Amino acid sequence: MIVLRRMSVAVLLAAAVLPVLLTGCGNEESDEIVLRVCNWEEYIDEGDWGEDELIELDDGSRIIGENNMIQDFEDWYYEEYGEKVEVRYSTFGTNEELYNQITIGDVYDLACPSEYMIMKMMREGMLVPFSEGFKNASAENNYYSNGLSPYISSVFNSLSIDGEPLGKYAAGYMWGTNGLLYNPEEVSDEEAAHWDMLLNKDYFRRITIKDSVRESYFVAAAMYYYDEITDPDFKNSPDYHERLTEMINRTDPETVKAVEDILVEVKDNVYSFETDAGKADMVTGKVVANVQWSGDAVYSMDQADEDGLSLCYSNPEEGTNLWFDGWVMLKNGLEQDERKQRAAEAFVNFLSRPDNAIRNMYYIGYTSVISGGDSGLIYDYINYNYGADEEEDSVEYNDIGYFFENDTDEANERYTVITTQDQTKRQLYAQYPPKSVVDRSVVMACFDDESNERINRSWTNVRCFDLEKLFK
Amino acid sequence: MTEGVTLKKYRFDRNQLVIPYLIYLLLFVVMPLLVVIYYGFTDDKGRISFANFAAFFTNSKMMGTLVYSLIIAITVTVICLLLAYPVAYILAKGEYARKHAFLMVFVLPMWINFTLRITALKEILTLLEGNLAYHPFMNTVICMVYDFLPFMIMPLFNSLTKLDQSMIEAGYDLGASFKQVLFKIILPLSVPGIISGVTMVFLPAMTNYVVLDMIYNSTYIMGSLIGSYFNSYDWNNGSIISAILLMLIGLVTIFTDKILSRNENREVRI
Repeated sequence: MIVLRRMSVAVLLAAAVLPVLLTGCGNEESDEIVLRVCNWEEYIDEGDWGEDELIELDDGSRIIGENNMIQDFEDWYYEEYGEKVEVRYSTFGTNEELYNQITIGDVYDLACPSEYMIMKMMREGMLVPFSEGFKNASAENNYYSNGLSPYISSVFNSLSIDGEPLGKYAAGYMWGTNGLLYNPEEVSDEEAAHWDMLLNKDYFRRITIKDSVRESYFVAAAMYYYDEITDPDFKNSPDYHERLTEMINRTDPETVKAVEDILVEVKDNVYSFETDAGKADMVTGKVVANVQWSGDAVYSMDQADEDGLSLCYSNPEEGTNLWFDGWVMLKNGLEQDERKQRAAEAFVNFLSRPDNAIRNMYYIGYTSVISGGDSGLIYDYINYNYGADEEEDSVEYNDIGYFFENDTDEANERYTVITTQDQTKRQLYAQYPPKSVVDRSVVMACFDDESNERINRSWTNVRCFDLEKLFK
Repeated sequence: MTEGVTLKKYRFDRNQLVIPYLIYLLLFVVMPLLVVIYYGFTDDKGRISFANFAAFFTNSKMMGTLVYSLIIAITVTVICLLLAYPVAYILAKGEYARKHAFLMVFVLPMWINFTLRITALKEILTLLEGNLAYHPFMNTVICMVYDFLPFMIMPLFNSLTKLDQSMIEAGYDLGASFKQVLFKIILPLSVPGIISGVTMVFLPAMTNYVVLDMIYNSTYIMGSLIGSYFNSYDWNNGSIISAILLMLIGLVTIFTDKILSRNENREVRI
């Protein structure tokens, strides 16, 4: 018996040690590059499209997601560079979750946080700048530098942390605005054109707002400065955009307090603060309006279309939040490994190849920062999605030249979309907003620690039960 | 040679079976707890500080959240107890051939994932009320009661089945009314069951913020407050709230232990 027991102990020990030994050897022997990528959930084409989903563009391109994008990248990289790369792909749910994971000690080479988190990571010195080679737009495989929308590029260069532009450390992925998704049968276009709709008693408990400090703060700040923002003198001033940006990003105690009071009122009027349920509640008709990101708005409109319900999207006149998610390379992952950095940059380039950008856009519903450069694929894809025959009750949607070239009449002419009347306030509008919307779009700054604490505390105040209510 | 000798000395002891659990306990219960306490009593620079602790008791919003959580938890627990006790009593004392099969029916919902059940309940409530957001507190209580009821029925059923039938009969023989039997015999003897049921319901009801999120109650309870601090990278304040909740739970357990032991003494006297 003792012998038996001793043997079983030995077997157990061996079983425990063996895998460790095996993986230990495996790592040392192979020269495969391991790229650890962390992205938002459901934020990349996972392939497996049905045959009816094939996208056929005007120039004859046929785009279909057969395989997972990751697998396609691995194959492509081997073909192009003759090196094997293994992508270890994982996902995160919120920017804060990603940041917490990294500070706890999870190691990634490439991640895709939102603009304010990119700025926070820049400030904390966590990122590696993209190489000069990556920025060389004339190189063949540099799809990103070649295809990046000049508008997004200018936004990237206008944002800086400690004197360094954001574009140095981040490569854009998806972008969009924040606005109101609404049911036009219940809410008028005029009402949905202003944020103060959230306080409208006619819609008591029938509107949802995002359960996010930053999103809500922006909306309430725009409501607080309503009079100043809508003043014609302010609107027509030459430095309108700078002043608007400054105003909405104010975090002095007085503003924070005023915003808090507005949010308390909003809380007492809305249906709920939601993280994800808003989309479904719009489609099922539980609510008539919903503060929403443009990409999720497109998704909701598509869903509702299937149920025969037509929803619209609006970017209120006071101003809207311009956001984007971008790829950043992390210092503690790359550890100055040049091969790895090349693979990471190639990954970004591969996703930025116009046909791949289209695959991702189709799959996740958001808008890529890629305008295609010399390739006309992206514009063709817009026409494929939203183009209408001339005979129909069609209109010219001709204010998106800024995204492809610059804001001139010729560019607008070149990138005109003949579409149906309703698309000018639906999916097309949400995915490629006209210049007038972009002009009043503001990127929300990455606040310093003191302001952040003030805002977070005020948010807690909004959400916590007020003891005074008990004694009233 | 020497190795063989030491191996021979090795004797398997039944107590060693506890080792796997002990390792588990150390790694996943004690260690995280120490980390929570460490963060709770330090500031953002890692210095020892009681500021977070003091802030909890002086911040009216935090106290508000505590009060709101307590109100929810107490309401849910009381309703669960009132609903579960008669059911458990009838099941335990009734003359049914398939007692345990009946019990199963009451515990059956537990087999379905609770988020799924709440989603279904959400649709039913919407149908009944028209708009969920009109009655956030009531909906929260309904959903939590629905969710936690089985946790109250089970321990009550167990303690009531064990209850000695002859005591009840003796009570009636000596001329007691049903009311007297209930309050003087049955209730006191089922106190252990009541207490374990209450602890199983009360504590989760204070922190289960998933239910509130799903049912669109936008007011924070303790769980959501802790989450909000961790989301804004404030681990210190988040940890101290967890630690304080833990202390409250500890106090409640000590308190109930006292009642239980007093109750056991009484049984001995009878």
